[in-house]
Amino acid sequence: MAKEKEKEKEKKKILVVDDEPDNTSIFSMGLEDGGFKVDAFTDPLLALSRFKSLHKKYDLLILDIKMPDMNGFELFEEIRKIDNKVKACFLTAFGEGYTEEFGRRFPSSINVSFVRKPIRIDDLVRKVNELVITYR
Amino acid sequence: MTHSSSQPPTSAIREKTEILYGTENVLGSLLEFLSKAKRIDSCGDSKSLSLVFEVDMYNKLLIDIKNRGIKVRQVTDITKENIRYCKELLKFGYEIRHLDDIKTNFSVSETEYLATAAALREAQPIPQIIYSNVKDIVEQQRYVFESFWNRAIPAETRINEIEKGIELEKTHVIQDQQSIKKLFVDMVKSAQHEVLLILPTVNAFLREHRIGVIQLLLKAAKEHSVNVRILTPTNDVIDDLLRNVKILSYQEGERKKDFDFDLRSINLSSEETAVSTVTIVVIDKKESLVFEKTDDTKENFIEAVGSATYSNSKPTVMSYVSIFKNLWKQADLYEQLKSHDKMQKEFINIASHEMKTPTQAIIGYADLIKKHPEKRDDMMQAISRNAVRLQRLTNDILDVTRIDSNTLNPLKELFNLDDLIANVIQDNVGYIEKENLSVKLLYNIKRDINEPLSVDADRDRIAQVISNLLNNAIKFTSKGMDGVIFVSAERKKNSNQEEVIVSIKDTGEGINPEIQPRLFTKFATRSFSGTGLGLYISKSIVEAHGGKMWAENNPEGNGATFTFTLPLSRKEDDRQL
Repeated sequence: MAKEKEKEKEKKKILVVDDEPDNTSIFSMGLEDGGFKVDAFTDPLLALSRFKSLHKKYDLLILDIKMPDMNGFELFEEIRKIDNKVKACFLTAFGEGYTEEFGRRFPSSINVSFVRKPIRIDDLVRKVNELVITYR
Repeated sequence: MTHSSSQPPTSAIREKTEILYGTENVLGSLLEFLSKAKRIDSCGDSKSLSLVFEVDMYNKLLIDIKNRGIKVRQVTDITKENIRYCKELLKFGYEIRHLDDIKTNFSVSETEYLATAAALREAQPIPQIIYSNVKDIVEQQRYVFESFWNRAIPAETRINEIEKGIELEKTHVIQDQQSIKKLFVDMVKSAQHEVLLILPTVNAFLREHRIGVIQLLLKAAKEHSVNVRILTPTNDVIDDLLRNVKILSYQEGERKKDFDFDLRSINLSSEETAVSTVTIVVIDKKESLVFEKTDDTKENFIEAVGSATYSNSKPTVMSYVSIFKNLWKQADLYEQLKSHDKMQKEFINIASHEMKTPTQAIIGYADLIKKHPEKRDDMMQAISRNAVRLQRLTNDILDVTRIDSNTLNPLKELFNLDDLIANVIQDNVGYIEKENLSVKLLYNIKRDINEPLSVDADRDRIAQVISNLLNNAIKFTSKGMDGVIFVSAERKKNSNQEEVIVSIKDTGEGINPEIQPRLFTKFATRSFSGTGLGLYISKSIVEAHGGKMWAENNPEGNGATFTFTLPLSRKEDDRQL
């Protein structure tokens, strides 16, 4: 019993925010299958307030960019104000549109990367593993 | 007038150049000059022609010339005022040619030269005269005369133009910078209908602005209804400047843009398209002024300008007008192209995003279904749902592409609209029952059997339109309350022909006023089951058939009504075809 709790604690924690409920379901399930612990939100504002109130430490944020109310970049900057070491991976379905804004907002791309949708579950899990390890 | 005494041999005459003062002395030298000459070549300004007629003591000069049979060639400025003197002199056997604005007054014979030493006054005797018999000087002045003579036009032509009231068409080059500046400003001020202006560089614009031309143009546009059009490269500085100038004009509470002052941006300064390194201005399609820059870096107009060409010759002016029109149109097309490109890019971005979303869901669930057999039913449903969503989106995007490239090509046939509406309603009633929605669909037909609603249209496409509107109505009405949707189709007589008005009225949420202006544009509203393109497509289909579509919130307060028209087919017309 204690061993399982230990295992739970060792699992890397991921925060997923995407306004499409199908996507949050898929990513949560896929990442949990991959051995991660996942909190998922379809509402970025809700995600932000939970983050503030629960002071959770996430090993990685996976954020959709195009969302109503608050886009992924904005959400990330808000979260950074609370935890400035937090790492993020942005999911984008847009083509070249965001690479310019991305380059502008994150001129030194430490702790930040992005990935194009649609993505296979295996590829996502692999990518997350890479990011969680290299971002030491 | 007696013959003069015989001349001593030329070599014995002393060469001299002198000025003679006093009208008597001047007359004396004139008489002497005539006595020795067989041919006289003369240049005179516009006042000079009147002299032999109006000044008493000069009358005899003319008689002398006639009696001696002296051949006279005269270059002068023929005007309305001196035209009668000119005609008289022609009768006397003078050969006369006209040169615009000629100002010099001199005469040269084979051996002698005379020139006035002071300005001529109308009908006044000459007060001072220069005389020379120095061979070199005389030859030099003969050369000057010949060059004027060759450039001048026959008097008869000029007289003809003056009498017929034709303005002498001319094109000439101006070298003096101050004159160019003055002419430019005067021309702009004189404009009554239209000013066309092409500026080649940003600096040119700023220079024109500094000499007040831009303000003059603005004033002309506002106060004298002059149509002002300017083609110029622009930058931020110029944009600000224009805003300021226009803002200043609004201070007295004027309405915006009541006047014709149009500016289009062009960039002509690239190496290849050095079409215009000149400024071109055309006034009232009657006059043109083209001036070049010798140094574009100079801020001062006078310092920057080189020479200028003025013309009021119709072919020349019209060719500039043609150049302007072409560039003007090009600037417009370029703007349209840029805006179209921008819209295309936006559409592609949004469309690709919309397509990737259901695609991600399908791929994701398909990947997960292997590891989660217990969730298989739910996942299959989700895959299905997203596949349908993707299919609808793909179809809609293809329709939009067809619409935008004008390849919609409706396949028209004659059919009964009531039947079609009834079918679509039937499908939707089935859907409502299946989904257990508390919505009622009502369709009233009170129609004369002899007057069926016959339309010549693409049956499937019209069905698509009605479906789209009905689906929307259901979607926005079935949130809980008991909604009703009224469908109606009425015949209406328009000015040209008969048409049918189809309206779908619901008692649902109504149209969000924020979205209303963009309602029929692409991706205006995105809902989960909708693609955001339905209304754009529906409106385009209706318009492709010659109809119209619009939407309003219901005056009663709840719900909205979507309406479209289609032209009705008239049986008589069909028979005639």
